[in-house]
Amino acid sequence: MGLTLTAYGVIMPISLILGGAAGFIMHRAGFCMAGAFRDLFLFRQTFMLRQLLLLVVVSMILFEAARLVGLLPLYPFPLLGPPTLASLAGGALFGVGMVLAGGCVVGTLYKAGAGSALSAVALIGLIAGSTLYGEIHPWWGAFARATILGKGRLTLPEEFGIDPLLPITLSVAVAAVPLCYWIRTGKLQRRSAVSGYVQPWLAAVLLALTGLFSYLLVGMPLGITTAYTKLGAFVEQFIVPGHFAGLAFFKGLPLNYLYPLTQERLIGGPGPAFDAVAAVQYPLLLGLVLGGLLSAILAKEFRFYFRVPLRQYGSAFAGGLVMGLASRMTPGCNVWHVFGGLPILASQSLLFVLGLFPGAWLGGKLLTRLIIRD
Amino acid sequence: MDSEPKTPQVLEFDIRGQICPASLLIALKEMNSCKDQLRNGEVQLVIKTDNRDATITIPDAVENMGYAVNVQRVDDYYVIVVEQGH
Repeated sequence: MGLTLTAYGVIMPISLILGGAAGFIMHRAGFCMAGAFRDLFLFRQTFMLRQLLLLVVVSMILFEAARLVGLLPLYPFPLLGPPTLASLAGGALFGVGMVLAGGCVVGTLYKAGAGSALSAVALIGLIAGSTLYGEIHPWWGAFARATILGKGRLTLPEEFGIDPLLPITLSVAVAAVPLCYWIRTGKLQRRSAVSGYVQPWLAAVLLALTGLFSYLLVGMPLGITTAYTKLGAFVEQFIVPGHFAGLAFFKGLPLNYLYPLTQERLIGGPGPAFDAVAAVQYPLLLGLVLGGLLSAILAKEFRFYFRVPLRQYGSAFAGGLVMGLASRMTPGCNVWHVFGGLPILASQSLLFVLGLFPGAWLGGKLLTRLIIRD
Repeated sequence: MDSEPKTPQVLEFDIRGQICPASLLIALKEMNSCKDQLRNGEVQLVIKTDNRDATITIPDAVENMGYAVNVQRVDDYYVIVVEQGH
């Protein structure tokens, strides 16, 4: 065959397609993860959290089935770290940030694509915050290494030295009880008058499939935030070249794995170079924006709104900044940990999600006391 | 202004482009502060929003509080009208 398949040649178009699909689906279903956690506290509303549980359970089944038939040679997937207090603290900070920004690291992208000026500002904050982490990395990294919990294994099954099948099956069985109840009582459905509405339960199933395809074809689930760091690093190296050259964080190459489909070694990190992280995450980022844009255009809802109270711009930027910083402190974002880590019972992901709750509570308090008032 | 008004006073809020969940928060706040005027039909709330989620959450909250609600699509956004229950 004259055509040689390279890892980047497969990964880049696949990431673009998966990002586009996810952005489109999330926009249509209003699949806002920041809202899911925020509204639990602001309105005692759990509708979107139920959908997230469904997403995690479906992903658990899909990932475990794929692992059992030998389709996941990389298990646990690359870039996961040991559980530390840094992930818990990072999750809490991330929770505050995503509520103030009005969307998570992915929500910000599809909303910006659909014409939200606030989300575009949050995006700038995200890039700034992700890059700012380079300044605190030496001592924050030391804090993380000093607070490793338990044996420091990557997943709960590994921590207890057992095969994942039993704990995964148990988790699915326990979660299936409320899920079945909600399905029977119609609590996963809702009426909507908006154009082209996709039911969030359907979105949850489709997003779980997106995660599976990413794991199978890219080698890991959806992740996006190192791309923000790379974009910021790209700018910083020109503004303060001397200072930038001294930052150790941007020289690290935490991604290093054997790509299953072509057996090439893929390496990458937060530095500005075009490496494996860029090949995986840049197309995903672009796809998420384009997916939101396409959905809004087809629903005839695209409009660039910018006349909003100034303090909301402040909130979006500050929220983005905090969220970007937190995503590097954790490390990882909500999509990485909820769509990818929780389904394999990654300890880091469990801590991160635990932290999201108090963070979202605090974010909601700040939002209603300081930002949204007339 | 003691006489019964024939048509309700319209309080309009343009929340388009604003941060989530501004539409729902402002709707709840106004429904509370204009409780009596809404109940006896003196006031009608009109909320313009581009937030798809608000077209579900606001009607849910409104119906719980016993008012009538109507969601309509206008151009590229949505108009939610809250008024005296029927």
